[in-house]
Amino acid sequence: MNRNKMISSVAVYGLLIFITLICLFPIVWMCLISIKSTSESITGFHSIVVEHPTLANFRRLFEMIPVWQNTFNSVFTTIMGTITSLFFCALAGFAFAKYRFPGRTFLFYFVIATMLVPPEVGSVPLFIIMRKVGLINSLWSLVVPRIATAVGIFYMNQYIADVPDELVEAARIDGCSDFGIFMKVILPVIKPAMASWGAITLIARWNDFFWPLLYLRKQAKYTLMVTISLLPVSEGLSTPWPVILAGTTLVIIPIIVLYLILEKFQKAGIMEGAVKG
Amino acid sequence: MLRTLKKYKAPYLFILPFFILFFVFQLIPTIWTVYISLTDWKGIGSPEFCGFGNYQKMAVDDMFWESLGNTVVYWISGLILIICCALLIACLLNSRYLRKDSARAFFKTATFLPNICAAIAMGLIFRMLFDENVGLVNEVVSLAGGPKVPWLTSTTFSKIPVIILNVWRYTPWFTMILLSGLLNISKDYYEAATVDGANAAQQFWFITLPSLKNILFFCSVTLTVDMWKLFNESYILPGPGTSNSSLFQYMYESGFNVFNMGYASAIGVVLILILMVISVIQFAVRRRQGEL
Repeated sequence: MNRNKMISSVAVYGLLIFITLICLFPIVWMCLISIKSTSESITGFHSIVVEHPTLANFRRLFEMIPVWQNTFNSVFTTIMGTITSLFFCALAGFAFAKYRFPGRTFLFYFVIATMLVPPEVGSVPLFIIMRKVGLINSLWSLVVPRIATAVGIFYMNQYIADVPDELVEAARIDGCSDFGIFMKVILPVIKPAMASWGAITLIARWNDFFWPLLYLRKQAKYTLMVTISLLPVSEGLSTPWPVILAGTTLVIIPIIVLYLILEKFQKAGIMEGAVKG
Repeated sequence: MLRTLKKYKAPYLFILPFFILFFVFQLIPTIWTVYISLTDWKGIGSPEFCGFGNYQKMAVDDMFWESLGNTVVYWISGLILIICCALLIACLLNSRYLRKDSARAFFKTATFLPNICAAIAMGLIFRMLFDENVGLVNEVVSLAGGPKVPWLTSTTFSKIPVIILNVWRYTPWFTMILLSGLLNISKDYYEAATVDGANAAQQFWFITLPSLKNILFFCSVTLTVDMWKLFNESYILPGPGTSNSSLFQYMYESGFNVFNMGYASAIGVVLILILMVISVIQFAVRRRQGEL
């Protein structure tokens, strides 16, 4: 019996370590190559050994593309997109979870059903609509269409449904308006859900590629992701691999660091002290 | 009617933004796509009505059929590989043999990281890993005694890197969802099963899988939509010609590289129809099983 337990333990740990290596290897490998000087060999196993670490690839990258401008575009759309999306999804989730208005069930299933056909399939008319309202080459084109998403509403609804009704009722008796209840009672209580959903949205918006590719049509307006995707062809076919991987390092590492920080917040206690007794 | 609206003004107002956006950025574009698909339109001038001309062109377009086939390959391979890998990792993370909570937290974070990495950036990295001459993957293959594989330059192998990238990036997301499902299964079931002498495989088959039915259904529905709108991975890891193109990518390229808006819209309509049919089938199967 004890020996079986040993074997099982070793198998579980061994498999997990193996999977972790597969998960982490491409990321670590990318970082290693990005600090290699262009004269070093990047063929096969030679690519793993870094003899002379250098930041030259990053300098080269900054000369090739307007990194600061593109980073600003990415940061702006990511932050604006996340904040607006969190607010409006929580607002709609609150309405679905805490009000019994006519048509509620139907409308809720309707929201869910909209997830089955992605908006991407209408990209031809979407481009025309964006051109009509003058949002082509505007960063707002990435924010406005997605300030309330079906999946976000679904997530928030699940979470807010668990908030005790007494909290809402008590606030209403105290004369709080509907919007006031949302701002003063619901938002503070659902902080952990906001942190988790915020992290997910933040990552998705930062990694967004199709929409910026479609709506942003000049280099000064590109997000970092679009610029990076064009790196292999931006100097003919000769962009050296270490420079390209310096670019990918630039988009991946900040978001990983941010994720690790946000993860700490997600563990904050759920419903801490919201209802007494 | 008006009285109800007045009484429930607040909740209706709160959900209004979603419906306005849905109307402007999803419903109108979808209907408009159907209209444009019936016209011959190159992006300038006014669209000329041409009936089902675009659809007839599509029926004999090899590139369309190849992209459709590729998308089916990505979809099926993704569905099987991603859900199996996610289930395995979720079970490992939930295993009682993983005793230390700190170890569990570490593995949870580490195995989630691929999902955070941008598909575009990882695609570029995979392009180098799978390079025929300098790539690390071929080095490992030749170390094992195999020949150099032309990963991205031959039509036979070019889809493999895309599939691997898909599995690598999407698995963590579904691992997380399945893990939350595993945590909800009562430990009592397993204890009772152990007392009755059921081994690990039996416990997995008769307790774990049935309890996860709803979540597995949810995963397969969302994964299906994800795979049919696949764009980034095949865009950044192209094979020769359209050998790696997804259907959605072919639609984008027809519309915005060749500026054949009518034809692109027709592909869009086909995508909408396929997704609707798949959803109806998925929910019908589910209903027959008496779960809905």
